[in-house]
Amino acid sequence: MMYLPKRLLIEKEVADSPLVKKILETLPDTPVDWVDQLKEDGDGEKGNVLEIVKFRGRFIKPCPGTRFYNCCGYQILNLAIQCSLGCTYCILQAYFTSCNVRLFANLDEAIQQLTEHLNNSRRQIHRIGTGEFADSLLLDPLIHLSENLVPFFAAQPKAILELKTKTAQVDLLEKMDHRGHTIVAWSLNPPQVIAAEESGAAPLEARLEAAQRCQEWGYRVAFHFDPLLAYPGWQQGYQEVVDRLFAAVDPGGIAWISLGTLRFMPSLKTVIQQRYPNTSILDEEFIPGLDGKLRYFRDLRVEMYAYLNELLLGIHKDLCVYLCMESDDVWREAFGFTPAERGGLSAMLDRRALSSFGRASI
Amino acid sequence: MTEKESYSIQLQEVDWNDTSCLITYGPLPDKLILSIQTVGLIQKPVLQRKSDGLLRIVCGSRRLAVCQQLGLEPLSCEVLSTSASLDTCLRMAIYDNIAQRDLNPVEKSLVLTKMALHLDQAQLVQEFMPLLDLEPSDTLCGRYKKLPALEENILDAIARGTLHERIGFVLSPLEQGDRLAFFNFFQELPFSVSVQEELVETVVGIGRRDNLTPTQILDSEEVNDLRRAHKRPARQRAQKIRKQLLARRAPRLTARKEKFAREVGELGLPVGVRLVPPPYFEGPRWSLECTFERGDELATRLRQLAELADQPEFKKVMESE
Repeated sequence: MMYLPKRLLIEKEVADSPLVKKILETLPDTPVDWVDQLKEDGDGEKGNVLEIVKFRGRFIKPCPGTRFYNCCGYQILNLAIQCSLGCTYCILQAYFTSCNVRLFANLDEAIQQLTEHLNNSRRQIHRIGTGEFADSLLLDPLIHLSENLVPFFAAQPKAILELKTKTAQVDLLEKMDHRGHTIVAWSLNPPQVIAAEESGAAPLEARLEAAQRCQEWGYRVAFHFDPLLAYPGWQQGYQEVVDRLFAAVDPGGIAWISLGTLRFMPSLKTVIQQRYPNTSILDEEFIPGLDGKLRYFRDLRVEMYAYLNELLLGIHKDLCVYLCMESDDVWREAFGFTPAERGGLSAMLDRRALSSFGRASI
Repeated sequence: MTEKESYSIQLQEVDWNDTSCLITYGPLPDKLILSIQTVGLIQKPVLQRKSDGLLRIVCGSRRLAVCQQLGLEPLSCEVLSTSASLDTCLRMAIYDNIAQRDLNPVEKSLVLTKMALHLDQAQLVQEFMPLLDLEPSDTLCGRYKKLPALEENILDAIARGTLHERIGFVLSPLEQGDRLAFFNFFQELPFSVSVQEELVETVVGIGRRDNLTPTQILDSEEVNDLRRAHKRPARQRAQKIRKQLLARRAPRLTARKEKFAREVGELGLPVGVRLVPPPYFEGPRWSLECTFERGDELATRLRQLAELADQPEFKKVMESE
C-alpha cells in the first residue's frame, strides 16, 4: 500500500531542495503548509502528515548496539524518521513522539557528510543502511531517493548500501547501474503474523516477488527474520516462510539473513497496549536483557534461532545467517560457534559484502 | 476578589446534587462533628445562588453535611454573586481546601478531573499538579483523571489509605468485575504495593494469553485452595499465591529455575557456598558466594570447589538444556 500523506508540512529553508521539488511534482494536489522551523517532536496535526525539514545533525552514525550483545557493525544513514506501516511491535513508536513521517530534504549535505566519512575512514568496507529509523523504500515512489543513493554507492569503492523494507516498491531500482553496491533487504514473517501485526506492510508474497525481481536485475538481496515472534505454531509458520522464500529467490544471491527475536524498551510495552489492545505479541514471557530491553527468555530464543538456522542451512549450506544483538552464549548454543571464532560478526558480514562486488576478502 | 455577602440560609435551599465544586471525598471527620456540635459553625460555608434559586456548595461541603446531620439551621453563610464563573468557584473550593489540609488521592483526582473542564492540559499540569504535591506530568495527570470512574468501595479504600492510588491506576483499564475481584483479593491478603502492581500485570498477562478473565484466574481452584488455607498465616498464603501466579505467567523461567535448583542440589556444593546464576539466566556472569570463618576453612572450600568445577555435573548446571 503506497504511502500517500494527506498534507505536507515543509520548512521554507528547504523549498529549493530537489527532494521537495520532486514531491511537489509527484503530489500536486496535496495541501502544503510552509513553516519556518518544525520542532524536534513535530508540529501541527498528528498522523498522516509528511514533514519535510532541514536536518541539522550528523546524517551518518553507527548502529546503536550495546556492549552486552554482538552488534553487526552496521552504519546508519539517517535520511528520514518514522514510518506509516503501523507494525504493532515497531520500536519507532517509543523513539519518536510524533506519528508523522519526517523527511530530511538536505540530501546534498547528507551525501557530502557521507563522502567525507568514507574518505576519512580506514575501514575496508562500510555497510550502510537507511532502514533503521524509517523504511528504506517507503517514500521512494514519492521522492525517488534510490535514484540518488544507488548510483552514489555504485561509485564508492568501499561502501555498500542496504535498503531494508517491508514494502514491494522496487520499480525504480530496475534500470539502475548498481554495480553490486546495493543490497535490497526484506523483513520477513509468516502471513498470519503479517496480517495481524504488520497490516500496513506488503504481504509476504509481494515482498518475495519484489526480491525475485531485484535478483533478476542483478541485485543481491538480504532477509531479516526480525522480529521473530513466538506464537502457537510458530515453527510451522516460519517453515512456510522459508519454503516460500526459496521457491522465489536463488539462495546463491542472498547476501545475508539475520535472525532476531522480539525485543523492546520497557516503555514501548504501554504504547503497544494502548495502540494495539488486541495484539498478542506481548503474551509470551519476557525478561529484562542486559541492555535493559525486554526479550524472550533465552531458552526460547535459542530454540527459535536453532530451528530457523537448521531450516535455512538445510536448504543452502553457504548462507550467511547471523543473530542480531545476541550474546556469545546464545550464539554458541543456537549455532555452535561464536562470532569471535570467525573473526567477529562485523568481519563476517564485511566479507559477505565485499564478495558482492568481487573484491579480495579481508 | 469575588464578591460575596453574608446570608442566613435554610438547608432546603442547598442543591445537594450539584457537585460541580465538590472536591472532598471520604467520611465526615468525627472531630468536625464534635466541633460543630459543641461550639457551632465557626467558619461560614461559601455557596453560590444559581438561576433556579437553589444554592451551589462552593466551600464547606462537609460543614454543611454535619449541620444537616445535626439539624442545625438556619445557617449563616457567604453567598457568591451569580456572576462568579464556575471556574472561579471551583478554584475557590480547591484553594480553600489545600490551605487547610492535605487532600487524599481521590480528592486530588477530583481536582484534576473537574479543573480539566476549564483548563487545557498544559495549564492543568503546570498549575494544579504542584499544588497537589504531584509531579507535573501528563501521564500521571491522565492516571489520576481515571480514578473517579472507579467503584465506590475502591475509592473509599484509596481515600482511607488502605489501597494505594497506584493500584487504582492499574485497575482503571479493567472491567468492573475484574477490578472488584482484584480489590477483594488485595483486601484479603497482605501484599506490598509493588507486588500488587506486579500481580495485576501478571494476572492480566495470563488472562490475555490463556483467554481468561482476571476474575476467572483469581477464582481458579488452585488460587482458591491457597486463599482458603486459613490454617496458614496470611503472609505465607500471599507468598505462595504470588509464586504460583508468577510461575504460571513465566513457565520457561520457572522451569529453568527449578532445573537449576535441582541440579545444584545434586551437585553437593560445600557448606557455606552458593552458586548464583545471572539474573534471568541472561548473560555469562555467574557468581559464587562463599562464607567462612577461618583461612584454612576457605582453603578447603576452594579446593573442593576447584574439583567440582571440573566435573561434568557442574558444567551441566550452567547449560540451559
